[in-house]
Amino acid sequence: MNPITRRKLARFRSIRRGYWSFIVLMAIIVASAFAELWINQRALVVYYEGEFYFPTYGSEHTGQTFGEEYRYEANYRALKEEFAAPGNPNWVIMPLVPYSPDESIYQEGSYPPYPPSFEREHYLGTDPLGRDILARLVYGFRIALGFSLALMTCTYLLAIVIGCAMGYFGSWIDLIGQRLMEIWSNIPFLYVVIILASTIPPNVGPGTRIGGLLLVMVIFNWVGMANYMRTASYREKSRDYIAAARVIGTGPTRIIFRHLLPNTLSIVITFIPFTVATGITSLTALDFLGFGIPPPTPSWGELLQQGTQRLDAPWIVTSTFFGMVTVLILVTFVGEAFREAFDPKKFSFYR
Amino acid sequence: MKVYFLKRLLLVIPTLIGVTLVVFAITRFLPGGPVEQALMQGQMADGQESRSSSEGIGLAPGQIEQLESYYGFDKPWYRAYADWLLQVAQGDLGKSYRYQVPVTTMILDRVPISAYYGLITFVLTYSVCVPLGILKAIQHRTRLDSVTSIVVFTGYAIPGYVLAALLLVFFAFQLEWFPTGGFVSPDFADLSFSGQVVDLIQHSVLPLVCYMIGNFAFLTLLMKNSLIDNLAADYMRTATAKGLSFRRSVLNHALRNSLIPIATNFGNALSIFVAGSFLIEKIFSIDGMGLLGYTALIQRDYPVVMGILLISSILLLVGNIISDMLVAAVDPRVRFD
Repeated sequence: MNPITRRKLARFRSIRRGYWSFIVLMAIIVASAFAELWINQRALVVYYEGEFYFPTYGSEHTGQTFGEEYRYEANYRALKEEFAAPGNPNWVIMPLVPYSPDESIYQEGSYPPYPPSFEREHYLGTDPLGRDILARLVYGFRIALGFSLALMTCTYLLAIVIGCAMGYFGSWIDLIGQRLMEIWSNIPFLYVVIILASTIPPNVGPGTRIGGLLLVMVIFNWVGMANYMRTASYREKSRDYIAAARVIGTGPTRIIFRHLLPNTLSIVITFIPFTVATGITSLTALDFLGFGIPPPTPSWGELLQQGTQRLDAPWIVTSTFFGMVTVLILVTFVGEAFREAFDPKKFSFYR
Repeated sequence: MKVYFLKRLLLVIPTLIGVTLVVFAITRFLPGGPVEQALMQGQMADGQESRSSSEGIGLAPGQIEQLESYYGFDKPWYRAYADWLLQVAQGDLGKSYRYQVPVTTMILDRVPISAYYGLITFVLTYSVCVPLGILKAIQHRTRLDSVTSIVVFTGYAIPGYVLAALLLVFFAFQLEWFPTGGFVSPDFADLSFSGQVVDLIQHSVLPLVCYMIGNFAFLTLLMKNSLIDNLAADYMRTATAKGLSFRRSVLNHALRNSLIPIATNFGNALSIFVAGSFLIEKIFSIDGMGLLGYTALIQRDYPVVMGILLISSILLLVGNIISDMLVAAVDPRVRFD
């Protein structure tokens, strides 16, 4: 690792708020990546007739595996109660939250949404369809984060290619690009996404739908970053080291990849946290309006929408709000620390 | 300089044409347009009686063509766009497909609502953010700075509409401190003047909080960073060296220079007349510009969509130019040539 990068990292570690936010955020991301281990309708461990089963990952076990009548997937919560009877040697260990995000649970004698209850292990309550909110929050976060990261990667790739070409080659590429960018940045992004998203036929699979959404969002998201890259490459291009490289006969490809990009990309890192946060909020806004990822996929936007429909169930909005805001605040703190650590400018004034 | 700004103003026109052309083309090529919408409504009205013709729609053969020509969908898209452009050039934005009302009237009806929220948000944000930014810059890396930073970043991280949902549930529904929505009460006209003022304020507290929260961080940090930049400038060292007190050197030199980026934002205030987040307006059911645009989109009321797009783009583009003019006015170093 080069010493400048090492110094920047050391500086990042010295900004305590950002550093701790980074650690907590990473912990949340890892925890959500392994959400199946702690939020799942499948048991963690089943001990049945002298054998151990680990049903969390992999193919499902039917009820018959555990001596039940039915052929569909075993109901581990029921099994646990059954095995708990005195004298039964078998046992089941359920995850912390024994529900999957898509499971509708109806309690006898009342209709959902049900308020939070430790006894029933619905720690944040359920939504109007009887699905566990904590489970939907965590799985929804995982999907939103994945989407946002994919969006960021595609947007940055496109923006860096366009911005670099405009800044480095200049002339007519730059001229056309600038006009295009001016037009593009004046088109209200949510409007177009809503028009386009509402025309994706409802019968296509969720994969195609998410892909289409991603494509539309990339097409309307690259302008800001491209503008930055254009200015940065334009500035670097006029530096002596690029001129020197050109004088000794280096081709444009080599100049761009060996000299230009390494010197412009370092600042791009400082944009990443903010781009991820924006991605998550735009997806949530689209989901909230019903144009995002189709149900029953868990999403924060859907939860917010349910919450504003059911004002009598404040736990829906409250959990979503605090879940979302915690993540966004952590991301912002990390982003701010990144910016401070990687920004070459330092401030000083002698008082 | 005059030539430069004239050129910029003229360049607004091609950009506007580009923006409207893209959106117009999108509305043209996508399924589910006004003709289909009208057909669907016709189908629902016909109910069971609809004859199952070969097309599967209960309409006489000539009717689809009739609908298409009514909505102008029988012409090729470039002709239709040229027609629309010509109409706009004469100051007519067309009629809403759905309500048969001139689009101009629909937009003008919403301008007071947008201007009300926009203006108050604008004034409140500036009157809090500029002093706070100055304070934070002078107290950089002190306890005051870090505490206000946490507040500011927290505000920045919370999207306005998410906060709106929370405020609606707690302060409007559970505690009943504020009404759950609307711009004013339905019986607004019957209230006395003081009653009207109270009613308006009650309705606008929650939306205003949501509108302000996002801008707040941006402006405060802009002010802070720009002042910090100037505090580290060479002329500040000179000012201190020649014996000026810190207070005087900040007020007389650094502050004046650091207000330049703030001035650049003033031009964009032009947009407040048509602004309005449709997410916030939807949650608080305020019938403003944002909600108008959103419902028009959902109902495929394209003349309204195009009208709002055109007007907001004009204000945005002209606002940008005004911003640049302001920069040139306050900063003699800036030369646009």
